Amino acid sequence: MPYFKPIKRIFTESDLEQWKHCETYSYIVDTIETLASSVEGKELGSPTSITPSAQTLLDILETVSEIVDKYPVVQDKGSSRFGKVEFRDFYDDIEANSEKLLAPLATNNEQSLIELTTYFNNSWGDRIRIDYGSGHELNFLAFLLCLLKLKVLTLNDSQTIVLKIFSKYLQVMRKIQKLYWLEPAGSHGVWGLDDYHFLPFLFGAAQLSPMTRSRPSSIHNKDIVDMYKDKYFYYQCIDFINQVKTGPGSGSLRWHSPMLDDISGVRKWSKVSEGMQKMYKAEVLCKLPIIQHFYFGSILKAPENLSDPSESADNEHGHQHTWGDCCGIAIPSPFAAKEMQQHTKTIPFD
Amino acid sequence: MDIDLDIQMKDAVEPDLEDQQSSSSSESFDFPINNVNYSSKPVELTSSNINQLDSWIEQLTDCKPLSEESVKKLCSMAIDVLKFEENVQPVNVPVTICGDVHGQFHDLMELFKIGGPCPDTNYLFMGDYVDRGYYSVETVSYLVAMKIRYPKRITILRGNHESRQITQVYGFYDECFRKYGSATVWKLFTDLFDYFPITALVDNKIFCLHGGLSPMIETIDQVRELKRVQEVPHEGPMCDLLWSDPDDRGGWGISPRGAGFTFGQDISEQFNHTNDLDLIARAHQLVMEGYSWSHQDLVVTIFSAPNYCYRCGNQAAIMEVDERHNREFLQYDPSIRPGEPTVTRKTPDYFL
Repeated sequence: MPYFKPIKRIFTESDLEQWKHCETYSYIVDTIETLASSVEGKELGSPTSITPSAQTLLDILETVSEIVDKYPVVQDKGSSRFGKVEFRDFYDDIEANSEKLLAPLATNNEQSLIELTTYFNNSWGDRIRIDYGSGHELNFLAFLLCLLKLKVLTLNDSQTIVLKIFSKYLQVMRKIQKLYWLEPAGSHGVWGLDDYHFLPFLFGAAQLSPMTRSRPSSIHNKDIVDMYKDKYFYYQCIDFINQVKTGPGSGSLRWHSPMLDDISGVRKWSKVSEGMQKMYKAEVLCKLPIIQHFYFGSILKAPENLSDPSESADNEHGHQHTWGDCCGIAIPSPFAAKEMQQHTKTIPFD
Repeated sequence: MDIDLDIQMKDAVEPDLEDQQSSSSSESFDFPINNVNYSSKPVELTSSNINQLDSWIEQLTDCKPLSEESVKKLCSMAIDVLKFEENVQPVNVPVTICGDVHGQFHDLMELFKIGGPCPDTNYLFMGDYVDRGYYSVETVSYLVAMKIRYPKRITILRGNHESRQITQVYGFYDECFRKYGSATVWKLFTDLFDYFPITALVDNKIFCLHGGLSPMIETIDQVRELKRVQEVPHEGPMCDLLWSDPDDRGGWGISPRGAGFTFGQDISEQFNHTNDLDLIARAHQLVMEGYSWSHQDLVVTIFSAPNYCYRCGNQAAIMEVDERHNREFLQYDPSIRPGEPTVTRKTPDYFL
């Protein structure tokens, strides 16, 4: 199977239906479950055996962190948009160098780099919009799944993947989010789990699922959060939220994070863990606004029987017609050309 | 909030509505309303309607959501008011112009404290009442109730978030489902949003809208010709008016938002000149001081949700325009939240 540059393939509700029943979807769901169950009862600091490939990957993530340091925020002119423009320099650097960066992971299989770099590059946020959301996080997961498929990593590495590699990714990502003021992509505001991430809640609840002494309601207790934030993703996330939410009402999760507050009423962590997996499927993997941006190549294959991608990507019907007058309005010629180029019209970003 | 009974009676019973009737009955034929057989005149408020509205407003002032049944009545009454408004709704001075609110109900109450209570003060809101904040339902219910009660005192425009598709992504849908246990209230409101006017013209001099200009609109008369009663389209003039942003670069540019355009100072100069305007007032973008000038003094951005999403640290602002067109900005910080939220904790279905 020749490798090729992964492309977006899911554009319509009917594509989404095909996606929910395809092999790649099941592979993602099954692997998340395997990864989550491998860390039940484990702490972030628990020792795991780190293979040379896993170490290479950790080194790559450290290099990404060093690349961030090359682009400090200098041009802060209080611009009306939130994101800092230096993020684009960082992003361009990653994009220009990712093939070289990832090469040690593909020594026997150089052609696969075209697919690996697509997911890797998209793991850090959106270059133009300077934002980040669970769709970008999904790209990093997809990158890891490709490495599993290519047998660079195996499921024996599951604990390392979650507790070390994903944890390192999260650490670098938090740094990027804070430094460049990344906007939360598609944030539901107070009605979402978190402005940026989903998977640390899912893996975090799995870590805690055998625990009976600390209950989910303990996220409201600052001392407990402090005690556990270096050991469990879930408390780490709560700590991060407590740090970034400010102003009147910021002292209470009930105001700024009612979803987490609702979930804290669940009695057992094991229930939270099950719920997170269900919620991830429904709110990330089955949400068109997210999956319409997902890339498919030869490693993570697109579902069969989708609408023709050339038709979808290139003509003006490549976007969802969820309402009437979409294409009835003529675009004046200076814009028509440019508009057509970017005409995989997706749900716009606010 | 204190509501002055005299003023209520005056506004509701006086022939404000009749004025509106006669002045807008011809325009009401200018934009076609899809598949509706509504009467061609705004219905006058009866005293029982006024009592009903006042009790809803009182309840909402305490940040208590209306029942689903009441929301249904509210939306039906609101359609009967809003469908008679124009695409370019005329507004007189003095008026206080406000930007995004995004469900930050307590900060909206702060806004009325800073700007003066409605209907003593006239208000013009430029959209984005819902999504992201905790109290979108209460916020939009309150503003809509005020609109029906004091139709000449408050103008509510449509923002890009007053849309079916956007509210499904950014929180209002989740909130309605969480508070009412079904999507009915979300459907009632999003159906109502189709009727909101899309722009306003203050004393023929200040053009107010949520987003910005469109390459397909050169004159304000062209806005009057649009068919507005529909979901916000993905592209075209109506979409642009709700989605575009001013930019430092000249000319038109592709918007990073994926909808609308960016427009430069040359475009604003041309538009204001052609239409004999002093100013374009718009919202749509978070600005740290609550207001921000662009294109020298041709465009102003107003944002009225302080410390947006509990994390942005921004001030909020509103702009007062007096009889002589003097402008004054009033800035404010987030208001104190009283104790804990009134909504009781409920385990999401995924976790049952």
